Amino acid sequence: MNRQIRRLGIGMLALFLALFAQLNIVHVFRAESYNDNPNNTRAVTRDFNRPRGQIVAADGTVLARSEAVEGGQFNRQRVYPEGELFGHITGYFSFSFGFSGVEQSYNAELAGRTAPRIQDLAEHLLERDPTADVTITIPTEVQRVARDGLGEQRGSVVALDPRDGSILALWSFPSYDPTALSAADQDASRAAREQLLAAPENPLLPRAYRETFFPGSTFKVVTAAAGLASGAINPQEPDYPRLAEFVPPQTNQPIRNFGGATCGGVLIDILRVSCNTAFAQLGVEMGAEPLVTTASALGFNDRPPIDLPAPVASTISPPEFFDDNIPVLAQTAIGQNAVRATPLQMAMVAGAIANGGTVMAPHVMAEVVNDDGEVIDRYRPSVWRTAMTPEVAATVTEAMVAVVADGTAGGLAVPGVTTAGKTGTAQIGNDLSHAWIIGFAPAEAPRVAVAVIVEAREGASEQTGGRVAAPIARAVLAAALEARPS
Amino acid sequence: MIGALRRSTELGLVLLGGVITASIYTLASLGRTASLPADIGPFLGVVLGLVLVAHVATRRLAPAADGILLPIAGLLNGIGYVFIARLDENLAALQAVWTAVGIGAYIGTLVVIRRIRDLEQYRYTLMFVGLALLLLPLVPVIGRTINGARIWVQLGPMSFQPGEFAKIVLAVFFASYLVEKRELLGMASVRIGPLMLPDLKHFGPVLLAWGASLIVMFYERDLGSSLLFFAVFVVMLWIATERWAYLGVSAVLFGAGATVAWRTFSHVQVRIENWLDPWQDVADRGFQTVQATFALAFGGITGTGPGLGSPGRIPAAETDFIFAAIGEELGLLGSTAVLVAFLLMVGTGLRISLRADNPFEKLLAAGLTAIIGIQSFIIIGGVIRLVPLTGITLPFVSYGGSSLVANYVLLALLMRISDSEERPVGAP
Repeated sequence: MNRQIRRLGIGMLALFLALFAQLNIVHVFRAESYNDNPNNTRAVTRDFNRPRGQIVAADGTVLARSEAVEGGQFNRQRVYPEGELFGHITGYFSFSFGFSGVEQSYNAELAGRTAPRIQDLAEHLLERDPTADVTITIPTEVQRVARDGLGEQRGSVVALDPRDGSILALWSFPSYDPTALSAADQDASRAAREQLLAAPENPLLPRAYRETFFPGSTFKVVTAAAGLASGAINPQEPDYPRLAEFVPPQTNQPIRNFGGATCGGVLIDILRVSCNTAFAQLGVEMGAEPLVTTASALGFNDRPPIDLPAPVASTISPPEFFDDNIPVLAQTAIGQNAVRATPLQMAMVAGAIANGGTVMAPHVMAEVVNDDGEVIDRYRPSVWRTAMTPEVAATVTEAMVAVVADGTAGGLAVPGVTTAGKTGTAQIGNDLSHAWIIGFAPAEAPRVAVAVIVEAREGASEQTGGRVAAPIARAVLAAALEARPS
Repeated sequence: MIGALRRSTELGLVLLGGVITASIYTLASLGRTASLPADIGPFLGVVLGLVLVAHVATRRLAPAADGILLPIAGLLNGIGYVFIARLDENLAALQAVWTAVGIGAYIGTLVVIRRIRDLEQYRYTLMFVGLALLLLPLVPVIGRTINGARIWVQLGPMSFQPGEFAKIVLAVFFASYLVEKRELLGMASVRIGPLMLPDLKHFGPVLLAWGASLIVMFYERDLGSSLLFFAVFVVMLWIATERWAYLGVSAVLFGAGATVAWRTFSHVQVRIENWLDPWQDVADRGFQTVQATFALAFGGITGTGPGLGSPGRIPAAETDFIFAAIGEELGLLGSTAVLVAFLLMVGTGLRISLRADNPFEKLLAAGLTAIIGIQSFIIIGGVIRLVPLTGITLPFVSYGGSSLVANYVLLALLMRISDSEERPVGAP
């Protein structure tokens, strides 16, 4: 019997080794995927009851803080003193619905889980929680100017510093106040969410980086950069014929200028008056390849590396698509049909031109500060893409300055500052159009780039972008330049 | 001499286990998500004190017995107590009482049974008692169904799970029966192809055990006990006869029973489906398994710390799923420690079995050890989804009076066998 008993021992050992192996898999190797499982609320519960750091604007205004609550299931809840102004940036922090915005992307920092372990132990003994505050790059004043400028018009405003990618304003209307959604009382939280979901135009959606639109004529700066980079054009030639309409190959549907105008000329002329016929011609002549290449180099067809959750990619169809769709290529070259962009992406386009062709990774985090006021993390600017040569960027800048000085974007001019810009009016049918403007200033040493869209306006003239969007962008530019002195 | 050495080892280990348990308890009471009222602190003292009482009793009653088993049982009991108290403070006092009863049963067993061999003569009585205990919950009026399993018996104000005791009684019966018949059962007389098999009529006991375990599975819906009962019997049969054929035939029988059960019984199907893919019904059928998985994953390597996790979300965390609660708060390190504790128990039990001269004692020790090993494997494997979940308690750790008392009796039997090995023949 002894042999069998020894074998039984070996068998039991094998069984226990199997248990140990499986334990390693569950405890360690698959732990991350289990912890991230949407059905798993453990991490949320823990974070919900823990103290949590503040989210602070660039000027020190508190945007989110934890407040103790009595009774009920939880000890704390989040409060957002600025309400809807920073809703799309801070996001909410709800037990039932998870989190969004900075609350999500910097959860580990806010919850204080990034501190070194040994320090944790000391903190534990001191009964202190090593939470950290996250300071963001947006000054309250600039954000407020963006909101007031847009008013109750559906749309978005994005401003950033082209030199390092810092976001200076990120506003979409409608927005929402995250406080109600983050209530410790889950019934209240649920009711707030129901209300927001029932509200028109989905206030929960940060349109600035999660919704794409036809960029309209603002996209002509991309077409211009593509033409310059590919050698199809230079500042002197070609000199496009003065036309009222241009009929691309493969169709008899002409592309017309706004208001039936006649236009043409060299690059600076055609950008200044936003000449559809000339840009459509440029697109057709240089072909899809350079256009898509430059757009991609600016970030199209890729999610921007912003430190906010789930940004969407702006899109342009691949070059092959246009082979049999030359008329679509002509429309795409003027920002219609096969191209869609987020307001964030268009601000990045302006920023790339302003920054000599280099696209900096956009970000909202400035620094992370611990309880003792020590900066434990500071955002390090990083280059995302090189979209064009400095020469190309300089040429486009020159043309964009002309657009403001003597063209459709006159309303963008910040007094005393050389401003570069480009308007856009993206037709979306039913005599509705999106009014766009992108721009940056000062043109000689840009510190702020901006993009504004006012969605679904009545009317469809090239003046719309200049008239509707330019004043908003100008105010934001002025405020951001002031908040961000060189 | 060896006795004295073993007893001082035991004392040292018991104290060490007490320190470990008390430390975890202290940490758990500091944890912010747990609120341990001060008044259950004394119960911990009671639990730890009881293990010491058991140690002192062992000094008198089984002085030469092994010195590792009791400290391990005490440690597991202590850790289990801390987690039970942390999960449900109302159960803490009860578990302390059960521990007292368990230790009482341990001492009582050592007092009453001075020689294991004496049990042999009650062989058939034990068989009937064992079968009766096994089937008792099926008796109308006193049988109770709790959480879908009809494994409870209610007598007046008291309710218990007779199955926990049946497994021990039947192990004693198996051991004596198999030792007597092992020559007969071990003879190979039938040739089927290249295999020499024992006479078919000797498979009768196997079929009987199989039938009994099927009854437990079908009528009491207690998959875990059914599996344990059958597995322990088969292992003992194999050890006694030294013939692989019994293992093979039993495996086939088990497979047949499992397949029929899977095809026929929805509750078995649910278990299998949950094992294969608990994610398809996370909110309901897969909830328990998924929550246990989340708990373990959340614990990671070092655990959340006692009192800092949320094991309360796992249904039956105090009983069958207590291993997941330990895994969450003590991490891979803690759960592995529990595994090692059981492995040490199994190793010690088998060593006792190996050293026994008397075949009956040898086989009984192996069988009792197999109960501990297989039972802990079945439930831990089920909780961590290595095998389909078949609910059963984790010996010494889970909340539950019947389980705790029965396991202490089992421990006492092992200690008694161990003690007799080390004493000269004829000594008291």
